[in-house]
Amino acid sequence: MEVVADILIVEDEISINGLIEKNLQLVGHQCTSVFDGKSAISEIQAHTYDLIILDIMLPELDGFTVFEKVKETPTIFLTARNSLADRVKGLSMGADDYLTKPFEMLELLARVEAVLRRTQKNKSYFEAGMVRIDFDSHQVFYMDQHVECTPKEFELLEVLVNNRNIALSRDRLLELVWGYDYEGDTRTIDVHIQKLRKKLGWENVIKTVYKVGYRLEVKR
Amino acid sequence: MKYRTFFTTLLLFLISFNIGIFMITFTMFKETIKNAEERSLMEHYILTSAIAKDFQAVESRGIHIEGVIDSLLHQYSNFSGDKKVRLAFYQNDQMIYSNGQEIVWKSNLLKRSEEGNRQVSFQKLDNHTYVNVSGNLPAPYEAYTMVYLYETTEAIVAWEKMKNMLYTVGFILSILLAIGLLLLLGQIFKPLSQISQTSRNIAAGAYDTRLPASGNDELAEMAQSFNYMAEEIQRQMVELTTAAEKKQQFIDNFAHELNTPLTAIYGYAEYLQKAALDEDDRLSAISYIMSESRRMHVMANQLLDLANLKNDQIVWEAQNLTDLFQSVKQTLHNRILEKDIQMEFSSEIDVIYGDAYLLKSLFVNLMDNAIKACGTGGQISMDAVWEAGKKTICIRDNGKGMPPETIQHITDPFYRVEKSRNRKEGGTGLGLSICKQIVLRHDAELKFISHAGEGTTAKIIFTTS
Repeated sequence: MEVVADILIVEDEISINGLIEKNLQLVGHQCTSVFDGKSAISEIQAHTYDLIILDIMLPELDGFTVFEKVKETPTIFLTARNSLADRVKGLSMGADDYLTKPFEMLELLARVEAVLRRTQKNKSYFEAGMVRIDFDSHQVFYMDQHVECTPKEFELLEVLVNNRNIALSRDRLLELVWGYDYEGDTRTIDVHIQKLRKKLGWENVIKTVYKVGYRLEVKR
Repeated sequence: MKYRTFFTTLLLFLISFNIGIFMITFTMFKETIKNAEERSLMEHYILTSAIAKDFQAVESRGIHIEGVIDSLLHQYSNFSGDKKVRLAFYQNDQMIYSNGQEIVWKSNLLKRSEEGNRQVSFQKLDNHTYVNVSGNLPAPYEAYTMVYLYETTEAIVAWEKMKNMLYTVGFILSILLAIGLLLLLGQIFKPLSQISQTSRNIAAGAYDTRLPASGNDELAEMAQSFNYMAEEIQRQMVELTTAAEKKQQFIDNFAHELNTPLTAIYGYAEYLQKAALDEDDRLSAISYIMSESRRMHVMANQLLDLANLKNDQIVWEAQNLTDLFQSVKQTLHNRILEKDIQMEFSSEIDVIYGDAYLLKSLFVNLMDNAIKACGTGGQISMDAVWEAGKKTICIRDNGKGMPPETIQHITDPFYRVEKSRNRKEGGTGLGLSICKQIVLRHDAELKFISHAGEGTTAKIIFTTS
């Protein structure tokens, strides 16, 4: 099993609902979109979801009311209401996270990832072509052969996999893998990417995106 | 103020009261002394005349006075019988008789009178007070002088007792008065302290505090004025708060209305930049960006309209209602067909006065709302009638209606009956604000009558044209 989840998107703005769906689909998640509170509840009762992304201001029933009915499913509130009172209310009700509009793609994906990692106990593996990555044991296999990776290489690999099909800038990669306070330059990224490409035979999988950075491209 | 009044009043009272007591006691003292003097003078006179007669009688019998003087005077020594009287007898400054053995007759006490006049004086001796009268016997016995001493101690003591009692009673009365005064002042100053307490409460934000206004004296009148003031303050505070809330609401809503399309535009742009996409994805992302941008453009224009409406001059012209209605119908033709809506028009009025462009956009907006409220096959009627002598235009639909409590807000900018701000029905949420502004510029009134599920009636009541 790959790291994918069934996600319900409850958002009344068609354009934003579509945007969230497209972003989540990039990293392989299955998405269902609903546009009001009532259909959200019937959808939740009909299927089991790994995660709900829930707007607060919804037609028919608001997000808080919907949330009260579906407590067992992990939920991220995504709303334009960014007052402290609303945040506190959302989180104290037991929501797993609270994200305000406007949001960035990577932030949304990172939070979804974080919630899924917290709530899904059987942390899985990732397979693409001849490469297999086991996240539990931190092991990488290329053509069933164990590949030695440094801790930083493995972390970089994990970030690329979690944000697959999305271009990540060198700065963002530095920030995500080495942390904010790392003082090395972006050449470090290029060196590590080269090493990963060579070790895993991913010369055409980890693509260089002109003027942006790198993108791990796998089939959706 | 209360205590100043209290102390001043009390002080004034104490001063006059004590002066009064002092005057009374002083007068009584004078009276006492005068009585004692008069009595002493009278007795002295009686005694001297009696003694002179006795002397005459003795002499007429040829007996020498010196020999019998003792026994003669002795009879008089008990004259008053109460042992208050002392007598001393002098012959040419030589004391020849005295019955006041226990008294040391001091020389100054026994001043002999120089002339024939009698002399009265007061003497104090060992806690006893005496009236001292000395005078010569009548002629031909001028050589003899009688000193008469009358003890007035009792009268003085009685006077002192009286004086003390008066002061004690005065003191008790003063205390009673002080208490009474304090209570009375408390009663008088109570409304004042109430006013100050109420003012403080109002200043602290409790705008619904009022003074009790009962009776119809000056205080009640003042309380009424005060309460009127408090009411005005409260009303204006409520107005200010409401205005501030509306403004805040407007800003919140505006921010939200801006944020939503911006989130979509930014999100799709980022998606285009970073994601690995095929042509379909790319086109749909671009079309989202374009439609959201257009929405912001429409919103900006409407906001501008709303702002300009408040300032721009409007052109007053006679408008034929039937023509106006036809042109509105023309504009909405497609939407009417789409939802298969029945349109009716009736008019008792030929013309209304106003700005052609604004009136048309007003009716288009209201009609458009009516169409949105109706399901497929709904009915909308527009009637121009005289109501209470005023030109009134009613736009009636049989759509979903709205809850009564939302009616007063629907003309607020960005207000949506559905809290979700569902844009499925389109629109920016400024339409009715613009309608209200147009109606206001025509000196007319815009009213909505609606119940959930029973349709809505919009009424425009023209007051001038």
